[in-house]
Amino acid sequence: MEPIKAEIVVVGAGPGGYVAAFYAADKGKKVVLVERDKRLGGVCLNAGCIPSKALLHATELIREAEASQARGIGFGAPKIQLDKLRAWKDSVLDKLGQGLNGLSQKRGVQVLQGRGHFEDSQTLRVETSEGQKFVAFEKAIIAVGSRPAMPAAFDLGNPRVMTSTEALELEEIPKNLLVVGGGYIGMELGTVYAALGSSVAMVEALSSTLVGVDSDLVRPVMRFAEKAFKEIRLNTKVVKMATGGKQIKVTLAVDGKQTEESYDRVLVSVGRAPNCKDLGLENTKVALDDKGFVQVNAQRQTADPNIYAIGDVAGGALLAHKASKEAKIAVEAIAGEASSFDGVVIPAVVFTDPEVAWCGLTEAEAKKKGIKIEVARFSWAASGRALTLDRTDGLTKLIIEPETERVLGVGIVGHGAGELIGEGVLAVQMGATARDIAESVHPHPTLSETLMECAEAFYGTSPHTAPRRRA
Amino acid sequence: MDIKVPRLAEGVDSATVANILVSEGATIERDQVILELETEKAVGPIPAPGAGKVTKIHVKSGDQVQVGQVLISVAAEGAPGEVKKDEPVRAPVKSSAAPVAPAPVAEIAITSGAEAHRYESRSGFPPPAAPSVRKMAQELGIDLARVRGSEGGGRITLQDLKTYIAALQGAAAAPAPSRETVPQAAAKGVDFSKWGPVEKKRMSALRRTVAERMVESWTTIPHITQMDETDITNLLALMKKYGPRFEKKGTHLTFTPLAMKAAVAALKKYPIFNSSFDEATGEIVYKRYYHLGVAVDTDAGLIVPVVHDVDQKTIFSLSLELNTLVDRTRQRKVSLEELQGGTFSISNQGGIGGGHFTPIVNKPEVAVLGLGRAALKPVVKDKKTETRMMLPLALSYDHRVIDGANAVRFVRELAQALENFSENELKE
Repeated sequence: MEPIKAEIVVVGAGPGGYVAAFYAADKGKKVVLVERDKRLGGVCLNAGCIPSKALLHATELIREAEASQARGIGFGAPKIQLDKLRAWKDSVLDKLGQGLNGLSQKRGVQVLQGRGHFEDSQTLRVETSEGQKFVAFEKAIIAVGSRPAMPAAFDLGNPRVMTSTEALELEEIPKNLLVVGGGYIGMELGTVYAALGSSVAMVEALSSTLVGVDSDLVRPVMRFAEKAFKEIRLNTKVVKMATGGKQIKVTLAVDGKQTEESYDRVLVSVGRAPNCKDLGLENTKVALDDKGFVQVNAQRQTADPNIYAIGDVAGGALLAHKASKEAKIAVEAIAGEASSFDGVVIPAVVFTDPEVAWCGLTEAEAKKKGIKIEVARFSWAASGRALTLDRTDGLTKLIIEPETERVLGVGIVGHGAGELIGEGVLAVQMGATARDIAESVHPHPTLSETLMECAEAFYGTSPHTAPRRRA
Repeated sequence: MDIKVPRLAEGVDSATVANILVSEGATIERDQVILELETEKAVGPIPAPGAGKVTKIHVKSGDQVQVGQVLISVAAEGAPGEVKKDEPVRAPVKSSAAPVAPAPVAEIAITSGAEAHRYESRSGFPPPAAPSVRKMAQELGIDLARVRGSEGGGRITLQDLKTYIAALQGAAAAPAPSRETVPQAAAKGVDFSKWGPVEKKRMSALRRTVAERMVESWTTIPHITQMDETDITNLLALMKKYGPRFEKKGTHLTFTPLAMKAAVAALKKYPIFNSSFDEATGEIVYKRYYHLGVAVDTDAGLIVPVVHDVDQKTIFSLSLELNTLVDRTRQRKVSLEELQGGTFSISNQGGIGGGHFTPIVNKPEVAVLGLGRAALKPVVKDKKTETRMMLPLALSYDHRVIDGANAVRFVRELAQALENFSENELKE
């Protein structure tokens, strides 16, 4: 059988893979896009960003309605039709998935559904439903992403022990849910299930949730979670799990003391692992790092000159928009253009309640690396807009280089922080100074003003905060 | 004060530390050469930008270093103001004997002029500039750290970039006596697709390097090629006899090592062929070592790795070394060091075919030997015609240094050496 010829074959059609395929096609390349799943979009669309945000939006209304009581507008208790909620969420995924199919067709990107396996540095075998097909490629981009990590000790083969993928399927609302791991996935999905009525307990092996995020940004989230969840237990390890009738028996250990508890369901959210296995990478010169991620250079080229890797599988921040940016860099590099991941600012957003978002340098990172910075903070308690939203549990801060007043990083916690951080990214990427932000008029009354006021606070001239004490 | 790897030349962003000439604790003076960096294009001294005491050496000889990487930390000494913290390290100005082309003059003019600028952030961040400006600089191969930003916080605008480019062009246009001939700007684009379908492929970095070197050699060296033939019937019989012995010991016996040995014998007799012409000083540099470059045809283009001290090696060890060197060259695994220091080169086309050809001298060497494919030919000996295996020899040389008579003598010497190759050389 004649192999399919491609200038670029992209393996995996998530936000890295499809962006790479589309961009390469836009540049006039002959592209084949290989995807294991029926629906394009990868984890982001199918079992990550999109379904989780759909559910977070839907369930936020429950909390809003509850809070509304105190403002004189009351609703009855919410009636939750789980099938309908799930169907609505799935309809969003279908719409986006079909959109990607349409966009592929319009660009003439050939989509092959099946598992990709490298035969060598120029050939990809694809196991399709119609049998094996071979793609003879000039360059390949690996964008196969990652999957939720499931430690062997927890893998009982019991559907009551879920990863984020199953939790987003929303099979039922368990009475008691144990969330193992207080990272952003555990926090977000814990929030969804708590709103739907589950009694949520969270255990985290380390001494805080959202490890790595500046502590002043985490504090409002913790205050919320302490109310919304039944409990949050830090420094607590899960020793083992076992099936116990219709429940899961979980053995927990704190300071060496063990207790056994039973939960209707358990969500294991202890990180993600790269999908490097069964790809045939051993038939290429691609090298992995000690954590099993594919090693790449600033152009996202692997140790095999014909093969590039982007997104989760290449390590770094496991974020959809980072994958999309890498997609463009890899395609540009393949097209012979000058391109590099160096100096690219990648924002991060945690869709908790309130949301946490940051970009560039964080205070924690500066401290760790011994970088001298100044931090300007603006509490949302002083924001008119935050008060009208009844959401003063927010904070905006700028990380500033003292000599140049350049904004090196932005951190925001508060309602809609994920939308606000876009301005922060622009500021850091543009090399803006605090003065640039302070001098740009922001519309009133909006939460975006907090960025301007924060910059003004740096100069001691924010109208809504106490004047800066002069040293 | 940290002394960092300066921008060395266009398209060169890494180098190998060749020599460190100071030690920790040593006191250094301004402009004292503190170490030497070696790149594909040049070996250059790095002068100290100011006086002081070496507090730490961050690299060791043989390290691969990137532009901007800290090499040596120096604590300033003496009167304040003598050492300016932000003063850039100047790019190496003078190249030693090995380099082919000096660093582009534009870089030097800019860095040593009054406009010298290098952005340094205490936070370790790149210079502030909008992504659009950053992208443009990347495409033009301009290091933004050298561009002075006019806006708040030192941010670089598009105008700043244009100003910098204009300054570069001004510097490049200025007369520069030491500047080598640069490849002419490519002919104005012709739209070949007017006459039929075409395919465009970007020239690889290696291909471009080969192109630059060839233009450089071809335009600066007056080439002459001396042709001859030699009878290798006996030598081939020897190879047939010793081939299996070599095989048993783990390597192939090929013709090239034998040619290398014969060449060394001729080089010893006519040392001018083992010399280099120092254009800057007008001196002829005779080398007392015999490092032979061997042209290797790789997928990406011509690469000439160098086998050191050919005179001191047996044919067996030469075979072993050459075979692995060729393999590694084809896999593009040879280091820069292995491509440098050659005193004479051999290009053996016999494996592919062909007769006489006119090889181009591998500058800064002064001669190159091209071998064609041996063929059976009628030869008249003692008035009797015999069929003998005749090998085409082609010696190109630099006529600035070598005259025709010498070339004939050299080729005859070589031909004799191959014709009467001593069996002892093949015995271990």
